[in-house]
Amino acid sequence: MNSRTSEQPVQIVMIEDDEGHARLIEKNIRRAGVNNPIAPFANGTEALRYLFGADGSGLVNKGKPLLILLDLNLPDMTGVDILKKVKTNEHLKRVPVVVLTTTDDAVEIQRCYDLGCNVYITKPVNYENFANAIRQLGLFFSVIQVPSPT
Amino acid sequence: MATQRTPLPNLQPVLLGIGFALLVGISAATVYLVDRSADDTQRLSQTLSVEDKLSNVLLSVRRAESSQRGYLFTNDTKYLAEFYEAEPEARQLVEELRTLTRENPARQTTLNDISKHLDAKFSEMAETVNRNQAGDAAGARRLVLSDQGRAITDSLRKVVDDAIIDEARLAAERTAQSRQTNRLLLYVTLAGAAFIVLIGAASVGLVQRNARQRETARAELESTNVNLERIVEYRTADLTEANEEIQRFAYIVSHDLRSPLVNIMGFTSELEALRADIFDQIRRLSADLENLKAQASDAATHSEIDRLGADFDEAIRFIKTSIGNMDRLINAVLKLSREGRREFRPERVDMDEVLASITATVTHRAVELGARIEVAPLPSIETDRLAVEQIFANLVDNALKYGREGEPLHIEIMGRASGTHVIYDVRDNGRGIDAADHARVFELFRRSGPQDRPGEGIGLAHVRALVRRLGGTMGLSSTLGQGSTFTVTLPRRWTPGNRSKV
Repeated sequence: MNSRTSEQPVQIVMIEDDEGHARLIEKNIRRAGVNNPIAPFANGTEALRYLFGADGSGLVNKGKPLLILLDLNLPDMTGVDILKKVKTNEHLKRVPVVVLTTTDDAVEIQRCYDLGCNVYITKPVNYENFANAIRQLGLFFSVIQVPSPT
Repeated sequence: MATQRTPLPNLQPVLLGIGFALLVGISAATVYLVDRSADDTQRLSQTLSVEDKLSNVLLSVRRAESSQRGYLFTNDTKYLAEFYEAEPEARQLVEELRTLTRENPARQTTLNDISKHLDAKFSEMAETVNRNQAGDAAGARRLVLSDQGRAITDSLRKVVDDAIIDEARLAAERTAQSRQTNRLLLYVTLAGAAFIVLIGAASVGLVQRNARQRETARAELESTNVNLERIVEYRTADLTEANEEIQRFAYIVSHDLRSPLVNIMGFTSELEALRADIFDQIRRLSADLENLKAQASDAATHSEIDRLGADFDEAIRFIKTSIGNMDRLINAVLKLSREGRREFRPERVDMDEVLASITATVTHRAVELGARIEVAPLPSIETDRLAVEQIFANLVDNALKYGREGEPLHIEIMGRASGTHVIYDVRDNGRGIDAADHARVFELFRRSGPQDRPGEGIGLAHVRALVRRLGGTMGLSSTLGQGSTFTVTLPRRWTPGNRSKV
């Protein structure tokens, strides 16, 4: 996923509290041939600190090519809160957010799209489907246009 | 429900019965007395008639006497007609008197006496008349002059006078009796009237009282209806809340139980893939073994095998952890469900004692943390002891667990009674909870803030479930970075069925 419009490689920010899920996601992304750096976070607090910086303004990531992989059920907050914060921050609102969660609740999915999530993927218990979904996500990564720094 | 009042349910019929009985009694007495009064009057008139007839008997004798004298004096026979009329007249009167006084034996004797006198008198007078008719005028005169007749007449008059006096006495007696009867009649009538007025007044009072009672009962019924509506509202709100809770619970459980499954399936598939890789590798190695017996072992192959081994170990580790996690989650759900089914046994619980024992068990930890725990005097409560022990043990444990860096922890437990409820506060100056998470912290498996303390996100869910089952509510006020106050409101007396309706 070397963006054609940017010299910097796109950084994948993975917010996933389950270490096993994080490993499986990473393995399958790599298998799809995506070699971008992945920054894993096991809880919302740390992820927010990384995304918005110490001052909480998000200025620290201004113009950086990021892609967020977000689990909705985090121990300390809901992924929806993070999604809302990202999409309402002037520096981060264009960052693509892929919601990846075990919840297939229709209301929840709708809410995420309403808040501006770009892709919503349900983690299937069936591993083949799971691997497929991630691989397709890898393909998706290789074609999407991550906003260039302005 | 109703205010206690003296029960008088059957007084009205009783009063009515008494009234009727009185009326009947008064009527009977009146009829009897009127009858007696009529009787008295009749007797009185009878007595007067007896007196009259007795006088008439004497008068008849006098008439006979005067006509006898007239005849003897003039020899005129026209006197004889009157003379002969007098005797049957007197006899007739005596007969009438006998009938009138047949109930008075003394008077009958008097009448016999009178009859004898009449016999004597009339026979004496007839003798004089007979002598005169026979021409013996001198003999007749002699007889008259002998005063024999006058003596009889005097005796007769005395008898009659005595009888008349006696009858007068009787008359006076009867008049007095009649007057007494009449007075009695008046009294009975007055008393009866007074009683009836009394009973009437009592009945009116009773009717009014009944009307008032009916009005009160109606008002009570109305307020019960209103209450019932409120109860239905409470219950509906309760059910809605319970239903939402169940949905949240199902959502959380399905999500959280699914997460380890994703791992188990994922890493099992990884193992499958690894197995194929490993056996391929072994096959290749054993094939190469023949050719490379003399050669030194291939370093690259070794590193490849090491990588496969690491992957293998990692997969096994995740599977084991995930199975462990599922077990933990299932146990937590089971524990909650078991707690939800446990029968509560209400008893008098001394809360000072409960908190003293809880703080005693955490003293060691508190000393290590440099925490100060203060327990104010608490109102006691009638509820399930184990449940309140678990509630406050969890709250105190939480307060100890989430202290603030560089701030000596201070935990206060306070309580107060308020009407039918008691309110307990567990306040700390710990790290506090973000307002956005105030609802979330009570959910199963959910926690708030930095995840730097061990825990599974069960404690507060458990506490809230217990408080709800005890018929209370759980409150939280907290500012991030300043501390939290958990407020437990419980009914003063727990009874089965008073699930939260505060």
